[in-house]
Amino acid sequence: MTDNSIPLGRVLRSSTPAFTVGCQPLSLERQRFMPRFGTLVRASVGERETIYGLIYNVTIEDDAFVRQLVAAGVESAEIIEDQRQKRQVPVVVDVLVVGYGRGEAIFHRLPAQPPPTLAPIYACNPAELIRFTAEHVWLRMVLDARDVPADQLVVAAVEAAAQARPPEHQKPYLVEVGRELARMLSQDLVRLESILKQLKPRAMERLHGSQTE
Amino acid sequence: MLELNKLAERVEAMGRCLAQRQEDLQERLAHARELLGRHSLVTEALREKIARARAIDEWRRGALPLAAHLNERRIPPPLTSPVTLIAVDGSQIYPDRHGIATYYLLNIGSIVLRLGSGQAPTVSTIPELFFDDRDLFDPDGQLRPPEYINAQRSRREIAILADLAEAERSRTGGDPALPIIAMVDGPLLPWMRQDAEEGEALTEEVDFFVHQMQRLRRAHAVPVGYVDRPGSAYVLRILELLELSAEEISRETLRQGRFRQLTDRLLFNNLAPNERSALFTSNSDANDRYEQASGGDRIAFVYVNVARRPGPSNSIIVRLEVPGWVAAQPELLDIAQAAIYANCEPTGYPYVLTRAHELALVGQAERADLEAMLFQAMLRNHLIPTVSPKAQSKFLTARR
Repeated sequence: MTDNSIPLGRVLRSSTPAFTVGCQPLSLERQRFMPRFGTLVRASVGERETIYGLIYNVTIEDDAFVRQLVAAGVESAEIIEDQRQKRQVPVVVDVLVVGYGRGEAIFHRLPAQPPPTLAPIYACNPAELIRFTAEHVWLRMVLDARDVPADQLVVAAVEAAAQARPPEHQKPYLVEVGRELARMLSQDLVRLESILKQLKPRAMERLHGSQTE
Repeated sequence: MLELNKLAERVEAMGRCLAQRQEDLQERLAHARELLGRHSLVTEALREKIARARAIDEWRRGALPLAAHLNERRIPPPLTSPVTLIAVDGSQIYPDRHGIATYYLLNIGSIVLRLGSGQAPTVSTIPELFFDDRDLFDPDGQLRPPEYINAQRSRREIAILADLAEAERSRTGGDPALPIIAMVDGPLLPWMRQDAEEGEALTEEVDFFVHQMQRLRRAHAVPVGYVDRPGSAYVLRILELLELSAEEISRETLRQGRFRQLTDRLLFNNLAPNERSALFTSNSDANDRYEQASGGDRIAFVYVNVARRPGPSNSIIVRLEVPGWVAAQPELLDIAQAAIYANCEPTGYPYVLTRAHELALVGQAERADLEAMLFQAMLRNHLIPTVSPKAQSKFLTARR
């Protein structure tokens, strides 16, 4: 793996299709990685296997103290900043599994085992993201997932994957993805149109243009 | 297992008893208030009675008035400039002879909140693990009791409070004009809660406390002990003397005081929001020892209503304890009270003390993590950790 991996947190609980990560609180002053919707993350299982997933939910949990402060209508800037930056209120991140890697190979299917409890989770860097999204089979895993905002997740993940690529590769990548989505959602054009509209507008134009060629 | 059906009749009886007691308390409270209003002037006669009572042990729970009138009250002006609040609290894990090893832990949490800065406060925790024989056992080879560990914790709390005050004063360039309020939860004199018998150990505790107070004074900080829901009846003990002649003051009459079971908190529950009572100083052994060791200073106190809404039913009466040199400066006490009142706004209890307590607290999961680390360390050193059968049986029957 690369040297500039950014730790996100550790696994709290896991299952085959998904796992939950507990993170340190968001802290602007510490410049830590902020869990973002649609980010590709990885967890190591043993020496050679890596599980990949997409963040589909970020929860900043409350507690009785925060609720009391909110009910009291606290306006002190110092107290608000203390609650935001200093209190150990956990941030919980839910991740959808979209594949795994073994050695140099990437597999866009569910792994044999979920990541173990307390396994460290890292955000993938651009090189890892490009490598994972070189094939588009993972899109099907997201589209078919239940109890996640699948369409929004596709949009966020595809945009992130496009931005990870060099500028001259971004447009061709989006075209490829658009075509793949069109194939996968050929029976659900309403859903396809909704997803494509949320991607950058030029992706929709390219798709229309390729269909008339 | 608690079989509630076996207690139903007693619970009903308790309800009736509480109602009856409440009626009696209200009647005596009204009388106490009437005395406070009618005889508020601190006369020479009253001072003589107090001097006479001080000679008798039972009056250890009395107080000496520092103001000219017993019923003086004051609402400080609002804050107009930045103030820094520092709070420290501690927690502990006591030695457990049923555990895998004998140790104790102290954890001191602290927060430095700079009112008016808009910045997040500085927070810190300092854990300490004790496992050497000299820490665990007294000179007779007996395991240190909880009182000893509590005393160690209190020492660290007040010392770290002084550390933080000095650091904050230094950070702001040493300008004494910036108020620093340094708070602990509970009485300022920590050993008031102990039954210390050994003279040398007690002297050492007193001297240590005096030293920390002097550090705080040199840092131009205002040390405050914040006592929430105080059970004290210091002022009521003074009121009891009003109805006795000097000749009638004896151990017996002091023991049968008319206002027993009442508290000063009830007496002063008609303080307005952010209003404080007159100043007093407690007549305790601890305060006497402090006075002797400090060269004449005594810890003083006031009662304050930190509630937002007026009325006795809404009142939140607390006791603030400060050193005598703070009590002698009303403007300094004003600033401390105003800052603490502002900090009580969200929850009725100082935010900084809540956070200091939270930082100090060691949760069950954290304790389990520590024990797991210790377990591994013992294994690495070729030891086989075991818990006692009693501890094992508790684990089996504990609810999830």
